[in-house]
Amino acid sequence: MPAVLEFDGITKEYRRLASRRRFRALDEFSLKVETGEIFGFLGPNGAGKSTAIHIAMGFMGPTSGNGRIMGQPFGEASARRRVGFLAENVALYHRPAERLVRFYGALNGLSGSYLAKRSREVLHIVGLQHQAKRNSAKLSRGMVQRLGLAQALVNDPELLILDEPTSALDPLARVMVRELLLEARNDGKTIFLSSHLLSEVELVCDRIAVLHRGKLVRIGRTGELLQSGEQSEVVARGISAAIFPGAVGHNGVVKLHVPASTQRAVLEQVWNSGGEVVSVNPVRRTLEDIFLEVTSDRDSSLPEKSP
Amino acid sequence: MKPVLLIALNFVREQRWPIFVLLLWVLLLGIFGLVADASRNREDLLFIFKQVAVYVVAFSVFFGSSAIHNERKSRRVLAVLSKAVARSQYLSGLALGITMACAIYCLALGVTASWTLSAVGYPMSRVWFLMICLVAACMLAGTVALMFSTVLSPFLAAAATAVVLGLPGLASRTLAPNWSYLVPVYALTTSVLNTTFKSPGDVVWFPVELALLETVFFWLLSARVFSRVDISVAVE
Repeated sequence: MPAVLEFDGITKEYRRLASRRRFRALDEFSLKVETGEIFGFLGPNGAGKSTAIHIAMGFMGPTSGNGRIMGQPFGEASARRRVGFLAENVALYHRPAERLVRFYGALNGLSGSYLAKRSREVLHIVGLQHQAKRNSAKLSRGMVQRLGLAQALVNDPELLILDEPTSALDPLARVMVRELLLEARNDGKTIFLSSHLLSEVELVCDRIAVLHRGKLVRIGRTGELLQSGEQSEVVARGISAAIFPGAVGHNGVVKLHVPASTQRAVLEQVWNSGGEVVSVNPVRRTLEDIFLEVTSDRDSSLPEKSP
Repeated sequence: MKPVLLIALNFVREQRWPIFVLLLWVLLLGIFGLVADASRNREDLLFIFKQVAVYVVAFSVFFGSSAIHNERKSRRVLAVLSKAVARSQYLSGLALGITMACAIYCLALGVTASWTLSAVGYPMSRVWFLMICLVAACMLAGTVALMFSTVLSPFLAAAATAVVLGLPGLASRTLAPNWSYLVPVYALTTSVLNTTFKSPGDVVWFPVELALLETVFFWLLSARVFSRVDISVAVE
């Protein structure tokens, strides 16, 4: 499948004013997002997620490397006509919601009755149809975030880039956004989603990448990452828990987690000890487990280098 | 062209309160013309007109030096530039917005001055020529300020603009008068300040044309600089 968003060896360094020190926000970062997938972009604070997104949107240039969005180099205005973007902590002008969405739609080349119809439509999609005449300054933070989503959707984009789209939303609105993303994916659109809400990401994303200290530390299909097959849970009875280090016994049933490579040997050991195997299941890890595992190197110093 | 116009109109809308405050000065001129015995106080009337007229040049520098900073600081620029808007179009929109804001002021001032000054013998055509001079000066001053604001903080951008606009004036006083045409904001402003009832001044289009030409030059320069500037700093 063709890549709609592609980072190719992107490095971004920030220079500190009045200092020769540089801060490396992205380090040889490469990634391909394919058409029609929901791609989860994860990482702890300061990992470089927003920097990568801002480079893709053309808000800043890379120190080295390059990339393409919708087949065009980063920064090309015409490519953004097919992209919808919602920034983290979205900030919008103060004016009635519908007029605001129309303003952003017009900036993307929409006009006339189509723009008017589409503006009303996207406000309905994000559940703000009853706030259409209300000034954005008087909306709650969650509503402003939904309005931000509406302006991102107004041009019916092929690629949606969302930076923390649900951070200020209540559970109901989160469900609405989740359904919206799945619907968009079913319509063949691509979604690049940066979020700290791992449970949300786990529910909707087809693929996930984890960024840590500007480097890509894990990438893969969500299902494969969660069921890595690296560990199995063996439940047995008729044996003593003391035979296996780390095993837990309760009501005569012993549970133990074993690496997949030693699973066969453990099962044989159970049988040889006169025990009975009740079940063997691959351990399903949560995204949080994976996230903590790959970002566990958490000493406070951020990567810096002197020129 | 459409995004440029939209950004310009949006700028005027966002700056409606400063523009409103500016227009209060025009109102002051109108009130003075209304309540004072205009024929006896016509020199005072002209003095207020000249004073009120040159404020707009200072405001154009204020608008230009703070426009990008305000948009970046509020992060509103991200939603605009995430659309199919090139950096040069964004900059053009701001420059046009600054010019429109100043033109609104000059239009109001022109109408008021036509009514008050013409009644006491000042040529109406001269009023409107001076308004054109002011708009041209604002356009150039705003664009220069905008150029500096792409890389400097508003305060430094305003200071740098003051130096660029003021140096030709200083040179024209100490070296030769023609230096004022180097960046003709000073020349255009003095054509307003030097006007009198006895000698309103000649209609000379050269500084206006030069200002328009230099506006294009500074706009090209600022577009080049702005295309290379990181407009957002990651929130992380």
